Amino acid sequence: MQIQVKCSCGEGDCPEWAILELQGTVEAQPSFQNSLQNLQIGILCRQSQENYTFSVGYHELTGTKVKLKKPMLVLKKIKLQNEEEMGERDVNSLRVELDVIGIIRHKILFKTRPKALISKPQPAVKEKVTQPSSTVPN
Amino acid sequence: MDMEHRRLGSTGGAEAVLGLQPNSTMSIAYHSLFDSHNDITLLEIDEKLVPDILQQRVTIRGQPDEDAVLCTQSKTYALKFVGTSNSVFLIPPSDKAVEECNEKDDMTIPVASVIKVAPGSMELVEVAPKLDKLKFLLSQNPYSFVEASDMDISHEREKMNTGLYRWDDLADKVQASNEELRSGLQALLAVEIDGYWRVLDDKYMDMILNMLLHDVILNDWSFNALNEDEVLRALETDGFPCNIAMHCLKVYGNKVEEHIGGSCMWRLEERRVCVHFAREILKNGKMKMETFMAEWIRKVPDGMHASFDMLEGEVLTEKLGIETLVYYFSVSSLPSTPAERFNILFQERQKWEWKDLQPYVRDLRVPGLSSEAILLKYTRRTQPTVDAEPVFSAR
Repeated sequence: MQIQVKCSCGEGDCPEWAILELQGTVEAQPSFQNSLQNLQIGILCRQSQENYTFSVGYHELTGTKVKLKKPMLVLKKIKLQNEEEMGERDVNSLRVELDVIGIIRHKILFKTRPKALISKPQPAVKEKVTQPSSTVPN
Repeated sequence: MDMEHRRLGSTGGAEAVLGLQPNSTMSIAYHSLFDSHNDITLLEIDEKLVPDILQQRVTIRGQPDEDAVLCTQSKTYALKFVGTSNSVFLIPPSDKAVEECNEKDDMTIPVASVIKVAPGSMELVEVAPKLDKLKFLLSQNPYSFVEASDMDISHEREKMNTGLYRWDDLADKVQASNEELRSGLQALLAVEIDGYWRVLDDKYMDMILNMLLHDVILNDWSFNALNEDEVLRALETDGFPCNIAMHCLKVYGNKVEEHIGGSCMWRLEERRVCVHFAREILKNGKMKMETFMAEWIRKVPDGMHASFDMLEGEVLTEKLGIETLVYYFSVSSLPSTPAERFNILFQERQKWEWKDLQPYVRDLRVPGLSSEAILLKYTRRTQPTVDAEPVFSAR
């Protein structure tokens, strides 16, 4: 079986995607967990040339924009539904293609632990950042 | 405020994130289509492979029960999934249509939407092509004299269609890049007959070589200057189709000059012809060295000289009392993956001297591993004294 890797955007024209990467996971409050769509995660702020902050609920992360050592391609699996063939062929021979829909060259990486934002209290905590390891400074 | 943000939807995109100016702020939200999106994966690749991929010269090959590999035109790569415990938020470029209609609303700060949290990415590791499978596929149905001379092919053909592969079938089934597949076919001495890639059965090869040598004597040709047109014509009269005759020239000879009187010239390679006869003689099993050498020298055509060192990597010898026995053990019949190769070699012999072992391992290739490293990994080297020959045994 062969899967053709295609790029329908045309050479040199593949749109750039972005990655925002942070340690641990972001957890929404239980009431939102099943309907994350359109929910705000946090506020990204470029404070200076170098520094970015990402505020999620009470927490603030600091990070930088990093160029990836090797680019990453965003691949999307496309099932080719050829109706004429479908009748004769079984599911195993269902043709699949991989479409390169984007390329990623940079990410904004937050590798610090979250800092608590005590100066800006909000009544309802919508989301919190949980860290894989124990304590949070401050 | 929460509700306000919830309804903002997806306006900005990756370009807004990457192009965010100093002292600016934007909102990051889950996309209206945020989901696990299992059909979207990330593939990390070398910058130098990017053009190959964007120009659609890359395929992923493998059967459902095999680990998929990615093939460029010349190389084969294993695909490895590398997971991450970080949260990797994937932000696609903006959907232009949505962006425009939201631009009017200048009260909002830009929003970029996360379509998926990537659990990790695929990485490429260069690997050797899986050419043993090619060998197996082609060996299922070798082309024989019977098939070649059978003119009435109409209904018989149906039956013989099993084990026949066109180029596309092979590319579908063998995990190798096109270039590797092509050189694999060459190494197996395969030939394209009626659109199918075939190996010729030993008996048929023997017949056609003998016929060629016979024609050489008959026409008083020289081994070093065979006129392609004349050879093909003669062999065709003897009942060998042109493509098979041409194949015979390629297997046992080399092209010397392009044109002498408008025709290509070929030279028969002494070693290849001699090895062929040695193999024919040893087909029935082990022989005493003296008997073998006498018969070999007798069989080799006049003007060619058989010498035992031609058989490096083709035969092995063993001592039985005062006798030396010789038997056929060709490197071409061994697996090409180091682990399987060494397994068979050490089943054959527990201890190998370097001069014996070398012809059986020199063709092994593992990307990123030197020949020394391969030996170190799969063998134990012992050297009783400083000036003694090193001996290799299983690890």
